Amino acid sequence: MPSLRRLMAVAVPMAMAAAPAMANGGTPHSQWDHLWGHVLLDLVVIGVVFGLGALWMMFRYRAKSPDDVGTGPKLTKAQAIGWALLPAAIFMADDFFLAAKGWSLFTVYRSAPADAMEIKVTGYQWYWEFDYGNGVVTQELKVPVGKPVVLRMTSPDVIHSFGLAEYRVKEDLMPGRVSWLWFVADKPGKTVATCTMYCGLAHSKMYSDVVAVPASEFHAWMESKVRQARATTDSSRG
Amino acid sequence: MRSLVLASLLVVLATAEAWAEYGRVPFSEVDTGLFRVEEAKFLGVKPDPATPLRDETGAPTTLGAYGGGKPVILVLSYYNCDGTCSVVNADLAAQLAQVEQWRLGADYSVLTVSFNAEEGPETLAKFRKTLDLPKGAPEGWRFALAGNSTDARRLADSVGFKYFWSAQDRAFLHPGLYVFLSPQGRVVRFLYSTNTEPRDVELALTDALGDQIRPAQILNFALSLCYSYSFKDGRYKLNLPMFFGFASLGVGVILFIISVAVYRRRIHRPNGRPKGEDLPCQACAD
Amino acid sequence: MSDFKLTEWIFTTDHKRVGILYLIGSLAAFGVAGCAAVYIRLNQLSPSGGLFSDPQNYNIALYFHGAAMILAFLIPGLTGFFANYLVPLMIGARDVAFPRINAFSVWLFFAAIVLALISLMVSDGPDVMWTGYPPYSVTTVGNTAFYVFTVHLLGFSSILGAVNFLVTILYMRAKGMGFNQMNIFVWTVLGAFVLQLIFIPVLASAVTMLLFDKYLGTHFFDPTGGGDVLLYQNLFWFYSHPAVYVILLPAMGVLFEVISTMAKNRVFNYKACVYGGVFGLILLSGEVWVHHLYVAGMPNWLRTGQMVTTLLISVPVGLMVISLWGTLYRAAITYNVAMHYACACLFLLLVGGLTGIPLAMTVLDLHLGETAFIHAHFHFVMALFATFSIFSGIYFWFPKMTGRVADSKPALIGFWLNFVGVTMTFTPLFIIGMQGMPRRYATYEQFPQFEPYHQMATLGAMVVVVGMLLTFYSWINGAIRGPKAAENHWRSKSLEWTHAPSPPGPGNFPGQDPEVAKEWTPYDYAR
Repeated sequence: MPSLRRLMAVAVPMAMAAAPAMANGGTPHSQWDHLWGHVLLDLVVIGVVFGLGALWMMFRYRAKSPDDVGTGPKLTKAQAIGWALLPAAIFMADDFFLAAKGWSLFTVYRSAPADAMEIKVTGYQWYWEFDYGNGVVTQELKVPVGKPVVLRMTSPDVIHSFGLAEYRVKEDLMPGRVSWLWFVADKPGKTVATCTMYCGLAHSKMYSDVVAVPASEFHAWMESKVRQARATTDSSRG
Repeated sequence: MRSLVLASLLVVLATAEAWAEYGRVPFSEVDTGLFRVEEAKFLGVKPDPATPLRDETGAPTTLGAYGGGKPVILVLSYYNCDGTCSVVNADLAAQLAQVEQWRLGADYSVLTVSFNAEEGPETLAKFRKTLDLPKGAPEGWRFALAGNSTDARRLADSVGFKYFWSAQDRAFLHPGLYVFLSPQGRVVRFLYSTNTEPRDVELALTDALGDQIRPAQILNFALSLCYSYSFKDGRYKLNLPMFFGFASLGVGVILFIISVAVYRRRIHRPNGRPKGEDLPCQACAD
Repeated sequence: MSDFKLTEWIFTTDHKRVGILYLIGSLAAFGVAGCAAVYIRLNQLSPSGGLFSDPQNYNIALYFHGAAMILAFLIPGLTGFFANYLVPLMIGARDVAFPRINAFSVWLFFAAIVLALISLMVSDGPDVMWTGYPPYSVTTVGNTAFYVFTVHLLGFSSILGAVNFLVTILYMRAKGMGFNQMNIFVWTVLGAFVLQLIFIPVLASAVTMLLFDKYLGTHFFDPTGGGDVLLYQNLFWFYSHPAVYVILLPAMGVLFEVISTMAKNRVFNYKACVYGGVFGLILLSGEVWVHHLYVAGMPNWLRTGQMVTTLLISVPVGLMVISLWGTLYRAAITYNVAMHYACACLFLLLVGGLTGIPLAMTVLDLHLGETAFIHAHFHFVMALFATFSIFSGIYFWFPKMTGRVADSKPALIGFWLNFVGVTMTFTPLFIIGMQGMPRRYATYEQFPQFEPYHQMATLGAMVVVVGMLLTFYSWINGAIRGPKAAENHWRSKSLEWTHAPSPPGPGNFPGQDPEVAKEWTPYDYAR
C-alpha cells in the first residue's frame, strides 16, 4: 500500500516523461519498496510458523516427571529421505522464486535509460564532488524531477560508497575503477547522500544534500551556474 | 664520448626549456608525458554518439553508427601523416593478427578516425593501401573522416586525446593512443602504441566487453583475472595477489589432504594409532 | 584448589586444561571487546557523538570490538574451548592426536590476545575495522601491522588445531564408534576445522600482502602500480565468509547437545542434519563470498550468480533447523539455565537467519548493504546466537568441568537481562537500517531523526552489562561455592557423561578404553 500511495503522489506527467524502464511498476525505488514488502511478508510467514512452533513445543513437551523421556519418532529410511528432500525442495522453491524476483529488479537497477543525464561523482576523504560535465562542479547534488540520473563514480584516495537511501541505491567508489548507479527523483524534495564505506576519521561527516527540483527550476539554476563557471574561467585567464 | 652525449643532452634540454618559456611548441620527443591521458578523468566517459563523421566515401555519418553493440578500438589519426600514424595503425594491425581470443569483425571492430577535417576520401584510400590489414578487416576495421574541425576537436577532447599543429614540424603532434570503447560506447581502457603487446589488446577487449561476456567466453574472463591494469605503466601486469591467493588455497587443500590421508597410512602400520603409543604417558604427566 | 600449580597449567598438554585455557583467554577477550561495545554505544547517545566524541578512539574501538569478538572470542571459544574439552571425551579418546601441538596452539592464541591488547595501548592503534580493506588500511596512520600479526598468530594457531582435530576425529574414535554414531557437535567441529584448514591460508596471504603494501612499498592492491583494490576484498571474504560457518557450525553443535539432553530426545533426522546440513554448508561456503561485495562494483552476472548460491545456503541451514526443531517434538523437556539459553538461541537464529534472506538478494542489498540493518542481522545470527550458544554450553558442561553446578538465581536473572537487553539493542537497529542509517558512524548529525532508536539501543546495552556481570558472577561463584554435581548431572547418554567422572582426570576414562555397541548412539533416551 505505501508504494501505491507513493505512486499516486508522483505527478503523473513527470513519471510519463521518464524512461521506459519506469513504464511498468514505477521508479526503481518504488519497485524496490514493493519487492521489499513481498520479501518481508515471506520472512514473517516463515518466522511466525517456526517461532510459534518452537514456543508451542517448548510449552507442550515439558517433562512430567524427572524420569520422563522423549518419544521422538525414529525415522525409517524413506521417512528420513522424505524429511530431507521435501524441506529442501520447499526452501529451494522459495529461493528460486526470490532469486527470480530479485534478478528482474536488479536488471532494472543495472540498465540505465538511454536518455539519462550523466553526472560525474568523485569521492574524496571526506567530501563529495559533483561534476555536471559542462564546467559546473558542485558539492551539493541538484537533479531535475522526472529525469533519470546516472552517476559515474570514482575516487582518488580510498574506497568510499555513495549511499542514497531515499532512492534505494548504493555503490562503492574506488581508485582505478569507474562504478555507476542510476536513480530518478519522482518528486521535489531534499535528502542526503552519505558515505557508507568506512573511510577514516571523518567518515560519518562525509555527506551532501541531494535536492530534486522541477525541471524548469533545474534548467534556470544550471544556466546561472554555467554563466558563473564561464565568468570564473574568463577572469582567471585575465 | 660519454661526456659528449651528456653535453648534447644538456643542450637539448636547455633549448627545450627555452622554447617552452617563449611559448614555442616543444619537441614531441622531449615531452611525450604531455600526451598522456588523465585516465581517472576520462575512464567511463561516453563520447557523443551523434558526433558527425564522414565515411570512406565521404558521405556523412555519426560515431554512433559504428560499433553495433560490440567493443570498438578507436584510433585517432590523420591520413596525410607521413610518420607515426601509419606506424600506429600498422602496429595495431600486427598485434590484432596475434589476438586469438577475440575475432576482428565478429567480436569487436576497429575505427580509425582522421581528426584532420581537410582530408577527403582519396587520402583515406591512399593511407589504407599502405596498411597491411589483418584478416576480417574489411567489415571489422573501418576508416572515417572528421565531419569538421570543431567536431574533431570535440571528439578528441571527450576522450582525452591531445593533438596540435606544429608549424615547425609542418605536422600534427599527437600520441599513438588506442581508446577501447565498450559496446555502449564508453571509454573503458587506454593503451599506448609505444608499449602495447597483443596480450594487452586482448585483455583490454575483455575489459571492454565487461558485463556482456557470454557463458562460452567465461574462460577468457577467467584468464583476464591473471592480469590487472597498471596505470603507472599504461599496460597490463601480472596480478600477483591472485596467484598468491590461489597458491595459499592450494596450501590449505594440501594440509587437508595430509591430515586426512597421510595419517590414514600411519594408522595402518603395525604399531597402531599415530602417536598413540605415548598417549597414556602424556596424560599421566599431568 | 590446594594442589593448584601454575606451571602445571602453563605447560599442560592435557586437552581439558588446554580447553580451559582457551575458555579463560576467549572470555577475557569477550570482556574487553564488550567494554569496547559499551564505549561504542555510549558514543551513539546523541547525533553529535554522545558521551565521548573522539572519532579516532571510536574507530579503534570499532576495530577492536569486531576483531576481538570474532577472532579472539567466537572462533577460539567454539573451536578452541569446546572442541578441545569435548571432542576427545565425546569420541572416547584419551587425548588429542598431537597433545604438544595442541599446547603450542593455545600459547599462540594467548600471544595473539596480548598483541591485540597492546594495540589498544599504542598511539595510532589500528583503525582499519576487522576487514582491513585497502587502500585505507595502507594509507592510514593507524598501525595496521598489529592487525596483520594478530591474524597471523591466530591463523597459525587455528591451522595447528585443525590438523590436530581432523586426525583425532577421523582416527581416534572409541572402538565400535562409526561415523553415524558421533555426536552432532563432533560433526560440526569436523566441518569447522575443514573450513579453517582450507581457507585460512588465503586470509593469511591477503593480510601479508597488505603488510607489504604498507611497510615495504609493494603495489599488490594499488591500482597505479598494477594492483587491484577489489582483489583484497575477494580474498578476505573468500576466507571470512566460511569463517561465519566456522562459528555457526559448532554453535549449532552445542545446541544439539544441550537440547537433545535436556529434552531427553533423539536428534530428529540425524543423517539429514549431518549429510545435508554440515556437508552442504562446507560445500556451499566457498561459493558465496561475493554477497559481501554486492555494492562493490563487481560484474553484474557474478552478483546474480552468487545471489543464487547465497540463497541456496538456506537449504543446509534449513535442514539443520528442522532437525533442531524436530528434537523438541514429543520431547520431555526440563528447564535449567543452559536450556533457557538454548531456547533463546532458537529465536535469535530465526531472526538472524531470516533477515539474511533479503541481504542475499543483490538488489535489496543495494539499499540495505552497509547499513545498521546488516549490523543488526549479523549480530543476531553470528554474535548473539553464537554467544548464547557458548553460554548455554558453559552452563551445561559446568558440572563436567568443575564438579559443581553454576545454575543459580543470579544466573537465571542474568539470562533474562541478557536476552531482553540484546533484543532491545538490536531491534531498533533493524528499523533505522531500513531507513538508511549507515554502519560504523561515529556521529550521525545528518540523521537526527534516529536519535531515539540509538538511545534505546544504548539502554539495551546497559541492560546487557548488568546481565553479563551476573553471568560472570554465577560462574565464579559456582566454581567455588556451587552445589556439588552428580556424576552424570543431566543424565545424558553421551560418552563424556556416561564413561568419565566429573571432572575427568588425566587420561579421561578410568580403566579400560571405552567401547560402544553397534546400536549405541549418544541420543538413545527412548530405551
